[in-house]
Amino acid sequence: MDFEAVIGLEIHIELNCKTKMFCDCPNRPGDDPNLNTCPTCLWLPGAIPRFSAEALEKASLLCLGLGAELQPQSAFDQKVYYYPDLPKGYQLSQARRPLSCGGGIDITDEDGNLKRLRIHHIHMEEDVAKLVHELEGRVPISLVDFNRAGAPLVEIVTEPDLRTPHHAMEFLKALRTQVRYVGSSECSMENGSMRVDANISVRPRGTSQMNTKVEVKNMNSVRHVGDAIAYEISRQSQAVQAGEAVVLHTRLWDPDKKVTLPMRGKFEGPCVPDPMVPVIELSPAFIDEMRSRLPEMPAARAERFVNDYRLTGEEAAFLSADPDVAGFFEALVKKGVAPRTAMHWLATQLIPAVKERRLELGASRVTPERLAALLALLAKDEINANAAREVLAHLFESDETPEAIVNARGFKQVSDAGALAAMIDKVLAGQPAAVADFQAGQGKALGFLIGQVMQSSGGKANPKILRELLMKKLG
Amino acid sequence: MDSIFFYRNPAAAPTDGPLAGLKIAVQPAVSVAGWPADAGSKALANFTALEDATVVSRLVQSGAFICGSTLGSEFGFGLAESRAGEAVKHNIAAAELMLDMMGESRLAACGAGVCGFKPGYGLVSHFGLIGLIPSMEVCGLLAGSCQTIRHLLRALAGPDDKDFSLPDEKPGEFSAPAPEPSKTTIGVIAEAQSALPDAEKSKFRASVAALQKAGFAVREVSFPDWPLFLPVHKIVGSVEASSAAGRYDSVRYGERAPGARNWNEMYLASRGAAFGTLLKSYLIQGAYFQFQRYDAYENACRIRARLVADMKKLTDAVDFLVLPVSGGASEERPGTLDETYGRFAATAFANVTGQPALVLPPASAAEAPFQLAGPRLGDAALLALGDFLLSVREKGK
Ligand SMILES: [Zn+2]
Repeated sequence: MDFEAVIGLEIHIELNCKTKMFCDCPNRPGDDPNLNTCPTCLWLPGAIPRFSAEALEKASLLCLGLGAELQPQSAFDQKVYYYPDLPKGYQLSQARRPLSCGGGIDITDEDGNLKRLRIHHIHMEEDVAKLVHELEGRVPISLVDFNRAGAPLVEIVTEPDLRTPHHAMEFLKALRTQVRYVGSSECSMENGSMRVDANISVRPRGTSQMNTKVEVKNMNSVRHVGDAIAYEISRQSQAVQAGEAVVLHTRLWDPDKKVTLPMRGKFEGPCVPDPMVPVIELSPAFIDEMRSRLPEMPAARAERFVNDYRLTGEEAAFLSADPDVAGFFEALVKKGVAPRTAMHWLATQLIPAVKERRLELGASRVTPERLAALLALLAKDEINANAAREVLAHLFESDETPEAIVNARGFKQVSDAGALAAMIDKVLAGQPAAVADFQAGQGKALGFLIGQVMQSSGGKANPKILRELLMKKLG
Repeated sequence: MDSIFFYRNPAAAPTDGPLAGLKIAVQPAVSVAGWPADAGSKALANFTALEDATVVSRLVQSGAFICGSTLGSEFGFGLAESRAGEAVKHNIAAAELMLDMMGESRLAACGAGVCGFKPGYGLVSHFGLIGLIPSMEVCGLLAGSCQTIRHLLRALAGPDDKDFSLPDEKPGEFSAPAPEPSKTTIGVIAEAQSALPDAEKSKFRASVAALQKAGFAVREVSFPDWPLFLPVHKIVGSVEASSAAGRYDSVRYGERAPGARNWNEMYLASRGAAFGTLLKSYLIQGAYFQFQRYDAYENACRIRARLVADMKKLTDAVDFLVLPVSGGASEERPGTLDETYGRFAATAFANVTGQPALVLPPASAAEAPFQLAGPRLGDAALLALGDFLLSVREKGK
């Protein structure tokens, strides 16, 4: 029998707010254990949660960025479950009245077709504490770190629109790009600021039944999500074919063994409204204000790049995937750099150079102004591409202008025909075999000879003039 | 008399401020920084409050002296082991603060023969109050006179940036003018007396007669759904308590029961050992509605909204309400949940609706203490009425 999967994702995203969701403690889970705590986020008796305006703004921007509809009223409930990472016995979560409904993400499916994956709703909730399991001598102990307790989260719940691991991975990549765009989170699965649970069931292809689903957790990269879903689809298909019933339960992905294994479920109860946390009412003015803060989203930006700068769809998608890259690109173009040159230099030179130096694109010495000045020298033929690459390396080290670097370090291109002709004569005299090869019709020899002359010029020869002169001499 | 207190403040009383010289006792559900705050429960044994409750910090700022913490029932629920009211009765303290979840402060005042006031919901900050039923409980006040309660409320009431559940508006000065009896209607809810034994009924009638004698227009009014207040309180209150008490797991404070093989067993054993029988049955009842009969909980919430609306209609029609305090149950030290609730049959309504209610001591042995209630936000007028009635008695002597 041929099976298809029905997949829904539940994605927790940690908002990059300065404070936690219900108190003023710094939202820095990575600090020394239990440093960022107070009676409210230690959930001590008598403390009262105070909802943070920043969390509401960042969560609202995230919702709008995903095309979701902010709800005029939403509310926090006490979601009851007992586990040592939640010592108060309930989590504040918008379980029944979420912040937004609807929304979705467009992905390209395996056949290259555009596919819309819908979002059911997005709600806010507080994070729980982190358990650290250790050995004290030979006794296993569990330590609780409250730095993460009360950290602001949103949970994005998709419709069961996904069918394949590819859909899930594309959804997550696009989601990450869009959330980074609105600036609400870094969405790093590796660092835990994005956590994904997948609900998977299988059914005979072509039917519309909804079968018992299995929840899979513990994937810490987009790749793992794809692998875990693929594994689970084949596991369930085999089970159904063997006549076994699929039971509702939760499984953990084991990235080393590349299998999912059943885990013991947490005890979870229904939700009770929390009378101490006021209902959130969003005024039309607030929603308008959030909308006005929304940046141009990646899909719209890519489309504009294609139309305005005559880039290919792929180039535009590459540039617009990261708001910093897109911003840098547009700043270069504004300074007069040709769009294709700007795109090419960003992709092949600047981004790798920034990465190699472990810097941030927006935070290195190479500003759009300085790179544009360098590329202007290139465009005017004052330096060649080799020299430009070397000047770029210097730009990372000093605050001198590209022009000053070119002058001080002799990167100026040699375009003087007399000087170049002398160099060419010398090379041709020393390479009779290559000359003979060329004259025998081997085109490759020309490249070799150009390389030799370029080398003898210290990389500064104007390649266009060099080529012309060389061709002339070789007759 | 020291057995009234569970902890006494070793510090010296402040000498400055509008409330200087006023000694105030608190029940252990009211946090005072550095004081043991076990809220009367083994589940909170060894817990020391890190911060002052807002009610405490505001009183201290006004110069009052928090003289000590009096023995209370577990989490302030019911009055079974409570010594609330005795400090005021014996003039050891001018006032006492305690949680009022279903009428505790009013019934304690009744027992001590003093005034007891349950402010309207939203008037006084909850910050630092260790309770069980967040949507119903408020900080109640006991004192010898309505005058003292008004002074205290002036310091206590108003918005608190530690409690977002309070409205932002600053309440008035609690100096409403004395009521003009001939222009003031007081309603007597017929259904509220039905459970009273005959002896108490006649004492209550004597109190109502005294109001008429003072010139007030007293008339009987009907609240057909009155019998629903108690079940609604029981269901909603127990569910909130069951959820709120989830934090008492004996991990950070309280005594951890030995011998557990895993955390789940540790929770079960420690919680089993920590809570008293009454509280345990309340939490189990709440868990039942939460996990088995959520529909009943949702219905109770709906009925609560209706009761609030009906009560608003009633308090629009009359200026004040007069009711008995006693629920009619004879059991002084109730053992079961039903017996406990039975004692609060006449007071729980105000916790369901959030309206203010005031208990006054009887004028004579022929009367019983009685309860007055006003509309939401009618706190100042209600206290002015209480003041007026006490001054009429003084003049009569
Ligand atoms: Zn905190």
